[in-house]
Amino acid sequence: MENDIAISVKNLHKSFRLPTERSWGLKQAFFNRLKGIKGYKEQKVLNGIDFDIHRGEFVGIVGRNGSGKSTLLKTLAKIYFPEKGSVEINGNLIPFIELGVGFNPELSGRENVYLNGALLGFSNKEVDEMYDEIVNFAELGEFMDQKLKNFSSGMQVRLAFSIAIRARGDILLLDEVLAVGDAAFQQKCNEYFASLRGNQTVILVTHSMPSVRKFCSRAILIDNGKVKMDGDPKKVADAYEKLWD
Amino acid sequence: MAIPNFLYKGNRVLLKELTKTDFKLRYQGSVLGYLWALLRPLMMFAILYVVFAKLLRFGSDIPHYPVYLLTGTTLWSFFTECTGQGIQAIVSRGELIRKICFPKYIVVVSATLTAVINLLINLVVIIIFALINGVTPSWSWLAVPIVIFELYTLSLGISFLLGAINVKYRDITSIWDVCIQALFYAIPIIYPITMVAASSTLAAKIILLNPIAQCIQDARYLLITNETVTSWSFITNPFLKIIPIILVIIILVWGSWYFRKKSKKFAEEI
Repeated sequence: MENDIAISVKNLHKSFRLPTERSWGLKQAFFNRLKGIKGYKEQKVLNGIDFDIHRGEFVGIVGRNGSGKSTLLKTLAKIYFPEKGSVEINGNLIPFIELGVGFNPELSGRENVYLNGALLGFSNKEVDEMYDEIVNFAELGEFMDQKLKNFSSGMQVRLAFSIAIRARGDILLLDEVLAVGDAAFQQKCNEYFASLRGNQTVILVTHSMPSVRKFCSRAILIDNGKVKMDGDPKKVADAYEKLWD
Repeated sequence: MAIPNFLYKGNRVLLKELTKTDFKLRYQGSVLGYLWALLRPLMMFAILYVVFAKLLRFGSDIPHYPVYLLTGTTLWSFFTECTGQGIQAIVSRGELIRKICFPKYIVVVSATLTAVINLLINLVVIIIFALINGVTPSWSWLAVPIVIFELYTLSLGISFLLGAINVKYRDITSIWDVCIQALFYAIPIIYPITMVAASSTLAAKIILLNPIAQCIQDARYLLITNETVTSWSFITNPFLKIIPIILVIIILVWGSWYFRKKSKKFAEEI
């Protein structure tokens, strides 16, 4: 594989078994087998997705609700296993499917940073190195020894977001995480995103076309589990907006 | 997912952080805090002691019966806590598993490690209690960790196996609760095994084939008195003797294999 490629997705398929009736529990499983009912129906979510992402690209993934964006992202993050096809990742991938995964309200801000860091695969020493930057970016210096439950929701999101963007990985995976905090914090995030362009490989799933136009160097439109369009972010954003016309 | 590898640094850090969190949060908001880790087994012991040793006069022929009983109840509490937390681990960390990729076994191990910490604290209490009760310290005390390791291995195997099934069939938790109740009476915790042996040697032998019974009797043998009847001394057939150990190994291997096979789909099924 070329050295320049960060992520290579080939002919990716994924489907889910959706339980048709309440098939949780042994009783229902037993009766379903007795009656010859499968108890689930196959739902195809990804239908053969192909793309390569090069190092340094800022890729926006857009699409309607239920088009398969999140499933794609979770497969890239190795949370789901591909059913058919392959996903190859070159380098260290940091996924943020949701901000503040594993955040615990009973722990202090500091403890949560270390726990979150460990979940993302960082050692305590690596978190030590990022810690000051994270706290400064979140502007929460004086609150870090308070329990997280005493943080306002805006503060919690700011902390989570700061971890997300300060975590040093080769590839950053972000799902709908823009637009957090107050206007001043947003401004700061926008500047930060703009500075990332060209230096860091980022994959961003979003519904906000202005951010696609502003930050992305490439965009991919997903529809019905297939790549419908791949290329210039402005054109893809226009196509996305026309989906409803 | 890679083969469970404790040497891989990232996994060790995560295991440490999760265990620390579990332990810290367990008694959060209670006035006595960590003391509950000690008080719970001690209170269970006190109840059983009053009912069985004082009222029903069990174990009057066994030297140091209170320590004998305490050792049994402590190891039993360890087993129930370990499997209880272990089986629930994957389901209760569902949020995490759906959002992030990491080796799933870490969640199970971290949940059970809290029980190990509690056991170690309680072990100190047993030793103090034994000394007060006049048990002579012995080199054989140093072999107790081997027994604990065996019991932990068994608990981990059960946690992997039932924890993986529990993701799809939540009935497992309730079924296991009933099993725990039944097992409590099928193991010589409150009654001395000699009482069973007096009426039926066969029944006593069957009881001692259970790895939990074997561990508890071994711990008593090592800690308190070598008059304790153990699986090793009571079962004469050399092939039957090793059945408890074989069972532990089978359950661990089967449990880990099944868990690994199923763990790929945890994120979708939880």
